[in-house]
Amino acid sequence: MTEPGAVGVTDEPEAPTNRPDSEHRLRQWLRRPYVRAIVILTLILSLVMLPLGWLIVAAMNGTGGPASPVMSSIQLTIIVLTVAAVPITAFVFAVMLYSLFGWRHVRGEQVPKDDSPAIRTNTIGVVLWTAVSSALAVFFVAWGLVALAQITANSYGTLPANEQPQDLDPLIVNVTGQQWVWTFEYPQHDRVTSDVLYLPVDRPVYFNVTSKDVIHNFWAVELGVKIDANPGAVTQTGVTPNKVGTFNLRCAELCGMHHAYMQTRIQVMPQQDFTSWVREMGGGRTA
Amino acid sequence: MSTPAGGAVTLPRSPTTGEPMTTVARRSLGGLWCFLVMDVSGTLALVISYTYLWSLNVNNGWAPPGASLNASQTNAVPAKGTATFATEWPFWAILIGVTCAMLLMWWGYRQLLSGRPGALIGLGTLSLIVIVAMLVAQVWQMATFPFGTGNGAYASAVYALTASNVAHLLLVAFLALGIVLRTRAGVVSSAVPYQARLVTYWLMWVSIAFLLGALLTSFLLDSPNVNPTTFGFFTTQ
Amino acid sequence: MTLTAAGPSAAGTAEVFGDHVPQPAQHGRPGGVMRHLNAGTGIALGALLAIAAYLVTDLLIAPGATTFTFAPTAPLYAYFAGLCGWIVGFTVGIGALVGPYRWLIGRELTHADAEYLAGRNLGVSRYFKFTTDHKVVGVQYLVVTLVIFALGGTLAMLIRTELGVTWAEVFSPAIYNSMIGTHGIAMIIGMIVVVMGPLANFIGPLMIGARDMAYPRLNALSLWLLVAALPCLISSLFFGGIQDGWSVYQPLASQAPPGMLGYQMTIVVFAISTGVASVNVMITILMMRAKGMTWSRTPIFIYGIFAAALMGLYAFPFYMYSQLLGMGDLLAGTSFFNPLEGGSVWLYENLFWLLGHPEVYVILIPGMAVMMEIIPVFYRKPLFAQNMAIAGIVGVVALSGLVWAHHMYMTGWAPAANYPFMLSTELISIPVGLLVLVVIGTMWRGTVWTRLPVMAVYAVVFNKLIGGITGVYLSDVPVDQYMHGSMFVVAHFHYMLMGAGLFGAMGGIAYYFPKMTGRLFDERTGAFGLWTAFLGFQLTFGSMFVAGLQGQPRRVLQFDNLFNLSNWISTIGAYVIGLGMLLFLVAIVNSWLLGRPAPANPWGSKSLEWQTATPVPLENFPTLPVVTGPPYDYGVPDPYLTATTPAAGPTPHQAAAQPAATADPR
Repeated sequence: MTEPGAVGVTDEPEAPTNRPDSEHRLRQWLRRPYVRAIVILTLILSLVMLPLGWLIVAAMNGTGGPASPVMSSIQLTIIVLTVAAVPITAFVFAVMLYSLFGWRHVRGEQVPKDDSPAIRTNTIGVVLWTAVSSALAVFFVAWGLVALAQITANSYGTLPANEQPQDLDPLIVNVTGQQWVWTFEYPQHDRVTSDVLYLPVDRPVYFNVTSKDVIHNFWAVELGVKIDANPGAVTQTGVTPNKVGTFNLRCAELCGMHHAYMQTRIQVMPQQDFTSWVREMGGGRTA
Repeated sequence: MSTPAGGAVTLPRSPTTGEPMTTVARRSLGGLWCFLVMDVSGTLALVISYTYLWSLNVNNGWAPPGASLNASQTNAVPAKGTATFATEWPFWAILIGVTCAMLLMWWGYRQLLSGRPGALIGLGTLSLIVIVAMLVAQVWQMATFPFGTGNGAYASAVYALTASNVAHLLLVAFLALGIVLRTRAGVVSSAVPYQARLVTYWLMWVSIAFLLGALLTSFLLDSPNVNPTTFGFFTTQ
Repeated sequence: MTLTAAGPSAAGTAEVFGDHVPQPAQHGRPGGVMRHLNAGTGIALGALLAIAAYLVTDLLIAPGATTFTFAPTAPLYAYFAGLCGWIVGFTVGIGALVGPYRWLIGRELTHADAEYLAGRNLGVSRYFKFTTDHKVVGVQYLVVTLVIFALGGTLAMLIRTELGVTWAEVFSPAIYNSMIGTHGIAMIIGMIVVVMGPLANFIGPLMIGARDMAYPRLNALSLWLLVAALPCLISSLFFGGIQDGWSVYQPLASQAPPGMLGYQMTIVVFAISTGVASVNVMITILMMRAKGMTWSRTPIFIYGIFAAALMGLYAFPFYMYSQLLGMGDLLAGTSFFNPLEGGSVWLYENLFWLLGHPEVYVILIPGMAVMMEIIPVFYRKPLFAQNMAIAGIVGVVALSGLVWAHHMYMTGWAPAANYPFMLSTELISIPVGLLVLVVIGTMWRGTVWTRLPVMAVYAVVFNKLIGGITGVYLSDVPVDQYMHGSMFVVAHFHYMLMGAGLFGAMGGIAYYFPKMTGRLFDERTGAFGLWTAFLGFQLTFGSMFVAGLQGQPRRVLQFDNLFNLSNWISTIGAYVIGLGMLLFLVAIVNSWLLGRPAPANPWGSKSLEWQTATPVPLENFPTLPVVTGPPYDYGVPDPYLTATTPAAGPTPHQAAAQPAATADPR
């Protein structure tokens, strides 16, 4: 192999000869004008795109979230994913931009007379790309697995409905979807039912979710909770709301004609307010 | 196919593309494998349906009720009496029949290779008769199940498996008839025997598909999920 | 081996590609009964049988009978009978069953028969017959695909109109929901066939140096089955529509109006059509490549369509059977998906997504492959790291069957399964990343010839990256817990399927237009349309991401005021897309009818399909070509690596430095 860059930059002083050959070649390569331009473009585009992560979170929080640790964890994951994905996206965009406006282009109907350099492959490039993208993928997977395990510990009832803890600490809510209303039943409180989801703040809640007809999807938007309400099965999820306020609950699975209107409120309130609400509704056995 | 008088002995060639029939045969074998993949996928879908519903026993609705209901009563939840699953031996009997048809066709194909197309005509006809008999048996079995299509998930899955069997039998009946007629017409011959082989292969796969059905309907009967969730209600808590 | 013909109807020989081949007996005139059958007889017989079956069934069912969902029985069964009548009538009427019948009685085709079936000397009428020539089938596919896109696109405009008019209901919920479902499935079908139909059929055999597909009659069958499926889909709109989205989740689908049967019948017929086409494509590629075309000399497009055919082969039967079982639930009262009687909704979801995810790659991989075919030609460079491109495609195929349940993270069917499925899903980003590497590696230091096809590549890579990154979000279970079922998902898959798939197909159509139609493509109008659509696309789906993040669920026709702004922008963008697509369509129609005649190789491409004459003769190549080199043999030796004399041509320093000095060399 001929010394790379031997032609490219003849007017530059020779690199010190005691450097390793690879370093020498890297310096030569980085000195190529288009490499510099692409590196700079990548940096600029990265800086432009980095705020996207926070913009995404801001869009999610327009209605008062995050209202639970689960939602905070989801948002952190989004920011991490965005920050990790931005540089590689910026690099590809930079190459595309530079190939349009940096390297030469020809127009017209005639087939260009001059061919471009026949770069069939580049081992270093391919290995580097594969290594970086694999490392990113592994990182995404690892992060996702850990985050999922945390969320599961915080939310899913790991036990089936009939084996869930009987002590009064976690609140259990039986959620039933049917076309096109939600019903919330509080089995610990004389099976009080409501069509608005009332929850005490800072107390774990387990949801047992089912449906009476077709598949619905129980989506407590600002709480970051989502699970299908399946007919013929009970699914579990859970959350600990940590913010007092009014939040949205929507059906996120097409369930027929009036799917769009199958939504209600979530009222997260202090424990004593919740207790008095339950009493008002005629439920005993307060916690 | 005989060579023209005085001509050199050449391989038989496709009249439409001029390619040697060995090339056409190789290509057809490849196509057969592809169609096999498709049919295996489809049959697998039925096997998955059967085992999935068996394992879940949703709303305690897997096993068919004791008394047969007709199709117009399907909106009624069947009363849970003693389950009456389908009798097992017809599945195995039909499987044996189909396997026999496959072996007959294979034997005929071997005879054709030894230069006796007449034997393939005879054995192929025999195979066809067995297939048609199995078709009748299969339809008879479907008509005499002790449950209707609407009597729970087991009934649905078994009807689907048997309906798939009927479709398979119709197809192989068509193929077997084709082999007999084509051998009579001299199109399938000792020189160009590959289609008889392909049909035998297809019969082999059909036998395997029947075996899968027979295994399911013999060994996966009572659902392991004896305490399923009741539909639409929270029973505990 | 000469033999004199004994008579017109007795066995003789015929000259096949310069060779005398013994022929079976010729019965009647070449083509036989096929001389009298065409699309007209097919439609007539189909319509006749459909109407007759509908009326007879309607009469046979007692008035007032109800199904188990208390819907009137008669329309359900009558509509089903009508659909069956149509399909049987159409396939018989067009002559699709003549081949099996001839096979059954052992009446082999003669060369003259085959020539007639391939449409020799039939003129324009061959486009309306059961014609076996792969080039005719490719053109037929192109037209059918455009019709499907027109249907799906019109529905998309109506959907966006409803969502843009935030202060009123333009359509009733039932009509809105059925528009959503029909738009979805029409576009999915259109996207699946847009590359695999026109390009794989027309270009595939030319590219590998074959005279036709492996099974010409199956090729025609796959096209006409697709045509047979369309009336099923369209007629469903008049029988209550498909009100359950394109995924028709059960048991919602089993309480649907009879229109659901239209969907299910469409899918069954379409799955058979795709399966048959897949077999054909695979065997053609495996066994009919030209002499010397080893696997390393095979163009990447061939790998792409082979991969798509392979995935379609194992995936589509699951879809077909899920719909067959659904039909059983509707018509025979079975309970596969009816939880009251032991059915499971998760069974449907699993069967459906066992197809559903490979199908996404069935759409994407051919689109990417077309793109990789285009780039070397317009950069005059070999494809960068072709082995990595192949590895990427192989990787996608290998993982495609293991990721389906990422559509079911939030169904609760098996929370523990979310962990392995998250792993397999995120691993897919590695092979897909390799494909991106191949694209930018080929762009690297190339001089781009700015024509329309290569412009589409830029649009595709841009959209694909956005779709890919948002896909990584969605593949992550915690994030999906927020985004599943929201507009974010809708935006994501439109970026993938439309942004990458459709724009890639547009580039591919523009690229192959001169070969397929013999006319030059009107690039000015086409490019204007493409970029208009691209702009509108960013508006529509960019703001749809925002709506999803704000918490707007999919498939709703009314929503909180919170989402108004993003939906208005989306709707405006949608009209811009509509305008752009219309312009592109105008460019296609205009150039097809009035374009200048195209030379055989307007792009100076070195692959086989451009080396034959335009219009392509029936036998494709006068003598079959022999391949002696790699597929993308463009380029001069890399000056950075080999040049020792700067005098030869522009030095790399100049070549590179000159554009760097000014951002735009114009």
